Amino acid sequence: MGGTHMSQTGKIMTAREAIERFVFDDCHLAIGNYTVGSCMELIFEIVRQKKRGLTVYSQSGVIDVEILVAGGCVEKLVSTYVYRGGGREGGSSVERALKNHSLEIEDYTNFEYNARLLAGVHGFPFMPVLEGIRPTDLFHKRTFMGENKYRIIVCPYTGKEVVTVPAANPDVCIVHVQRADKDGNAQYWGALGSVAAAALASKKIIVSCEQIVSEDIVESSPHLTIIPSFRVDAVVEIPWGAHPMEVIGFYNRDMVMYSIFAHACGDEGRMNDWMNEWVYTPKDRMQYLEHYIQKFGIKSLQRIKARPFYSAPADYGAAFTSMWNEEGKERNMGVTIEELEQILREKGALYE
Amino acid sequence: MNKPYTLQELLIITAAREIHDYEKVILGVGIPTTAGALAKALYAPHAILMMESGVIDFRPLLPLNHIADMHAIRGCKYVTDLFSVFTMTYRGFVDVCFLGVAQVDKFGNINTTCIGDYYNPLKRLPGAGGAPDFISYAKRTVLTMLGGEFVEKLDYFTSPGYLSGGSSRDASGLYPPGSGPKVLISTQGVFKFDPDTGEIYLAQIHPRVKIEDIVKKVPWKLKISDNLTETAPPTAQEIDFIRNFAPAQAAGRKIANELIIRNARNANAQGKPS
Repeated sequence: MGGTHMSQTGKIMTAREAIERFVFDDCHLAIGNYTVGSCMELIFEIVRQKKRGLTVYSQSGVIDVEILVAGGCVEKLVSTYVYRGGGREGGSSVERALKNHSLEIEDYTNFEYNARLLAGVHGFPFMPVLEGIRPTDLFHKRTFMGENKYRIIVCPYTGKEVVTVPAANPDVCIVHVQRADKDGNAQYWGALGSVAAAALASKKIIVSCEQIVSEDIVESSPHLTIIPSFRVDAVVEIPWGAHPMEVIGFYNRDMVMYSIFAHACGDEGRMNDWMNEWVYTPKDRMQYLEHYIQKFGIKSLQRIKARPFYSAPADYGAAFTSMWNEEGKERNMGVTIEELEQILREKGALYE
Repeated sequence: MNKPYTLQELLIITAAREIHDYEKVILGVGIPTTAGALAKALYAPHAILMMESGVIDFRPLLPLNHIADMHAIRGCKYVTDLFSVFTMTYRGFVDVCFLGVAQVDKFGNINTTCIGDYYNPLKRLPGAGGAPDFISYAKRTVLTMLGGEFVEKLDYFTSPGYLSGGSSRDASGLYPPGSGPKVLISTQGVFKFDPDTGEIYLAQIHPRVKIEDIVKKVPWKLKISDNLTETAPPTAQEIDFIRNFAPAQAAGRKIANELIIRNARNANAQGKPS
């Protein structure tokens, strides 16, 4: 785990550098975000760098998985849900890849997927899941996980059969959050989904954020921190980093862009064009935004910018922040530091 | 004279009437979340609406795009993680859940995963999501079917209804007694499940629909209730709520898409989106 000693060289870097350093061919990659606020720029960068042979974990493989599969990066997918652009009649890159057998998928339920990550987070070898799954094809039909997709054990306490899933500890998690400090304390708010679990289960963590904030912001709102600094390997500041998906408090989902994407998914040629225009041609998120503004106008971005709706501040106040009162006396013992030292000396408690 | 309504409005309202006051309700995006908003506004003000992303006790301001939508989170009373929403369901705290259906069989078992062979699919559908676990442990389940179909045998068995019928669900010992799908709402009518056989039957028919239109889409001899009723027309209050809250949903996807494209073209022509 690189977390701690990385701080000497600094964790703040570009998306390109973070992906170069921590995402490698054939690795197991976890997508941290669940539907909302996808880590789009990190995903785009993985595609640009032509990472290959990935095993991808995504709770809800929507735009994230669709782009990674269209980019030829994914060999195996562990998920609960994939996307169909344009509904039932449309298609998707995932469907095309399954049909030509360039992609294998292992299907779980949302709960089971999350359970695998939570087992990973806590260092357990497996996690019990809900037995109602037993008659279904999720239980019976298995791909690359084989026997290890689910295993049944007998509960030592009740004697009942328990369905279990194995722990998942992906090599690296990419995740987008609202804000982080330079050390990587990552603050996220909204539906929690499995965001923290995906990150904390993984061996390396790349955090991208809308803004890097100072330490005191984090210290005044620790309840918003979902990943602690010592687990984070890279911090990338990317305004509009989830676009066209939304980030609560920053911007809405961009319905125009999303509709274009959804339409593109249905057809391989259209999808390639979309990928060329929005993923491959722009070198980074800045160029992507420049192209967007050139094409749709700055107003299209302005009208999806969030208007503030602030949370009531949580008051972390306490009666005092030092054991010494205004008169310089210790609050409970009622003596000054000089008086205390004198008493210690008189009682022979000081080793002089 | 009743206020005129669209089929989409009728479906949303029919679904909303399945939500009772004080119930704890798991909703999926689309018809269910709009139905939830309607129920909360008109007949179930104390219902606790929840989504599996961890949003609990929400009251959406706008129709939702997905299950972690920012417009559900703003003003909700509790946010937690996905894992906890399911363990909450497993422990029996959820009264009703709403699930969409792609294929359904005679006993309310559901496929939302693929059409054709799983290992060599003709169509890959979204997948399981939270459906199997919710239908397993919510006290009751309401199914909604828009583009789906009745089939003799599912191409893939994603979510458990009454298994092989009769008492097989309860006898399996895997599910809380009495749980399972209770209602299926389609674009043509409302179906229920016989408590003894677990078999689906037609209970209610929507206006303008003929029984034979329904029967011909079911590959077995569909049972029909002796007390078959027609779906009651929505009230003006219900229609007004939906039209204000979710105008595009009220209009239906086809008409809404036409208008969205027209608006985008106009905006492009003038160089500024409205």
